[in-house]
Amino acid sequence: MSDRQDHHPVLTLDAIRTCLEGVIPATIATVAPDGTPNVSQLSQVHYVDPGHIALSYQFFNKTRANILDCRDALLEVIDPSTGAQYRLRLDYLRTETDGPLFESMKAKLSGIASHVGMAEVFRLRGADLFRVTEIEAVPGGRPLPARIRPRSLLSAVRRACEGLRGCADLSDLLDRAIMALRDLFGVEHALILLPDAASGRLFTVAALGYEASGEAAGEASKRGSGIGWEVAPGDGVIGVAARERVPIRITHMTTDVAYSMAMRQGTAAGPLHEIPFPGLERPHSQLAVPILTHEAGDGRGGLGGVLFVESAQEMRFTYDDEDALATLAAQLGALMRSLPAAQTTEVEDPPAEPAPAPAPAPAGGPPITVRHYTTDDSVFLDHDYLIKGVAGAILWKLVREHTILGRTDFTNRELRLAPDIPLPDFAENLEARLILLQRRLDDRRGPLRIEKTGRGRFRLLVETPLRLEEMQ
Amino acid sequence: MAEPDGLQLGAGVGAAVSRFLDRSLSVNVASSDRSNRPLVARAVAAQASSGGERLTVLLDGRANAELVAAVADTGRLAVVFSEPSTHRSLQVKGDGALVAAPTAEEAALTGPYLDGFIAELTGIGFTEPFIRAVMSCDPADLVALHVRPATVFDQTPGPKAGEPVQA
Repeated sequence: MSDRQDHHPVLTLDAIRTCLEGVIPATIATVAPDGTPNVSQLSQVHYVDPGHIALSYQFFNKTRANILDCRDALLEVIDPSTGAQYRLRLDYLRTETDGPLFESMKAKLSGIASHVGMAEVFRLRGADLFRVTEIEAVPGGRPLPARIRPRSLLSAVRRACEGLRGCADLSDLLDRAIMALRDLFGVEHALILLPDAASGRLFTVAALGYEASGEAAGEASKRGSGIGWEVAPGDGVIGVAARERVPIRITHMTTDVAYSMAMRQGTAAGPLHEIPFPGLERPHSQLAVPILTHEAGDGRGGLGGVLFVESAQEMRFTYDDEDALATLAAQLGALMRSLPAAQTTEVEDPPAEPAPAPAPAPAGGPPITVRHYTTDDSVFLDHDYLIKGVAGAILWKLVREHTILGRTDFTNRELRLAPDIPLPDFAENLEARLILLQRRLDDRRGPLRIEKTGRGRFRLLVETPLRLEEMQ
Repeated sequence: MAEPDGLQLGAGVGAAVSRFLDRSLSVNVASSDRSNRPLVARAVAAQASSGGERLTVLLDGRANAELVAAVADTGRLAVVFSEPSTHRSLQVKGDGALVAAPTAEEAALTGPYLDGFIAELTGIGFTEPFIRAVMSCDPADLVALHVRPATVFDQTPGPKAGEPVQA
C-alpha cells in the first residue's frame, strides 16, 4: 500500500492546473434524478484554490438543472501541452453572483466569448462553485513529454523581491519593479498605475514597451510612453482589478472584446483633458493585479495601485504567472506603505549644494508658452496638453515661482502646505504626482524638466524663456 | 460478436443530424451507474447508421472501464458531438444502449475518423502529434457502444443550448 502510494502520489488539482487554462474545452457529465445522463462541453473551468473549481453559469441548461438537483458531476479535462487526460469528481456547493470570483470569471469569459465570436451571446449569470472530491488520471492516450518552461517563476519572484530591497523612494521602487518584469519575467509590455483618491481614476506612473508599438514613428510619439495614461474605475481589466481588488486575467482576446473596447472608449466621452489608454493595438493576453497596502489589522487593504502586463501572444499569462505577479504586487504594496513619502511626516534632506547659480538665465531660443486652465488645473505646453489635476497645479506653481521669483529649488513639504495645490487630504500621495509630472516632462523631451536633488527636494530645470498664460 | 440485438426502439436521428454526424467531430459520452453517479469518456470514432436509427460509438474500453460497465448495466447513454472549429454541437440520448466488441468494419472506422479529426483540429492551431497523443488507442482495447437515439438536443453554446432538435 505505502509502496504503491510512493509510486503513484495522489493527484492534486494544483498538479493539473494547466488543464484549466481553457485551451481545450472540458467535458462534463451530470445525471438527472431519473438517472438520465447528460454530457456537455465547457469553455471555462476556473481554478479557485487547491480544493475547488468554479464553472460559469450562462444559461439555464440541463447540466445546471442536474447539478442543482443532484450536486454530483464528473469533469474530463486535457492537458494542453501533453494531451494527458484527467477526470475530476465534483460536488456542487453554491453559486456566486458577485464578488472577486464572479468578476474574475466574467473577465475571462468575455475573452473566450470574443475568441469564438460570441461576445454578444455570453453573459455570466453566476459562478457555480464545486469541491473537487477526487481526481483520476485517464489511462488512455499516449501523452507527450511536458513542455520545457523558459523560466522558473518562483525564482523570478524571489529575485524580483530581492531586487526591490533598499529602494530610495517610490520612483526607484517603480523602476525596479518594471525592470524585474522585463528581465526576470520576460514581460514586454507593462504598466504600473496609481489611484487618484479624488476621482478614483488610475494613472500610469511607470511603463515598459509602449514607445515603439505604434504603427508609424509619428503615431508612436503621439501615443507616448504610457506615462499618464488613465483608466476609469471598473473599466477594462485594470479598472475591474482595481474595483474588485482581484487579479483579472484574459488569455484569449481579440480587439473586439468588450473589456478592451470599454477601456479605449471610456475616455472619449469623459472629461476634456485625459490621456487615453491606447495600450497594445492587438492584445491577446492581459493580466491586471491589484497592489494592496495593508494597515495592521486590515485584511482587505487599501488600493495602492495596479500592476498590468499584456502581450500580443495568446495564453502568455497562465495561472502560475498570475500567482507570481500577485506575489510581486504584495511585496510592492508592503514596500509602498513603508516608504518615507507615504508617512504623514515627510522626511527631508537638508539643502545640500545650492543650484549652480540662482535662476540661471535661460539659454535663448524661442520662448515656450505654458497655459494653465483653472477649471481642471490642466497645463498645456505650446498648445499640447501635458497634464492636469494635482500634478498640473504643482507645475503651474513651480513655473510661476520660477518666472516671478527666479526660484529653481523646491521641497515636497512646501507643496504639501501650499493653499493653491488641491491635495484632497493628508493621505493623498504627493510623491506619486511628482513622479507623474517628472516623467511626463521627460516624455516630452522639452525645455522643462524636474530633477530630484535629495529626499523631499527637487529642482526645476528650464532651458528656454517661459511665457505664462492663465485661462479661467 | 454477433450484430447486437435487443436495441430498444427510439426515434432515430433525421437526415440533417445524420449529415452533421457524418464527419470527424469531437465525441464525448456520459452514462450513469445504478446509484446515479455520472461517468464520462472521450470516444475515438462514431457512426450513425444510414437510416439514422442506430448510433455506434467507439472508445477505449480499458481507459473507460467504469463507464463501459455502467452502460452494460443500466443501458443509459448520452453522446455529444462537437465541431471544434465552429463549436456547433448536438447531444443524442437513448436508453437500452448495448456494449459489444467492435466488428472489423467498425474498428476500421477509427483510422479515417482520426485523419478527419486531425484535419479539423490542425486547422485551428493544434498539432498532429498532440491530437494523436489524445486520441491514441490500442485496437485491442476498442469497445463499441450501440444506441437507438431517442432524443436529440442542440448543444451549441448560446441561449438555444439544450433545446430539442426535431428529427
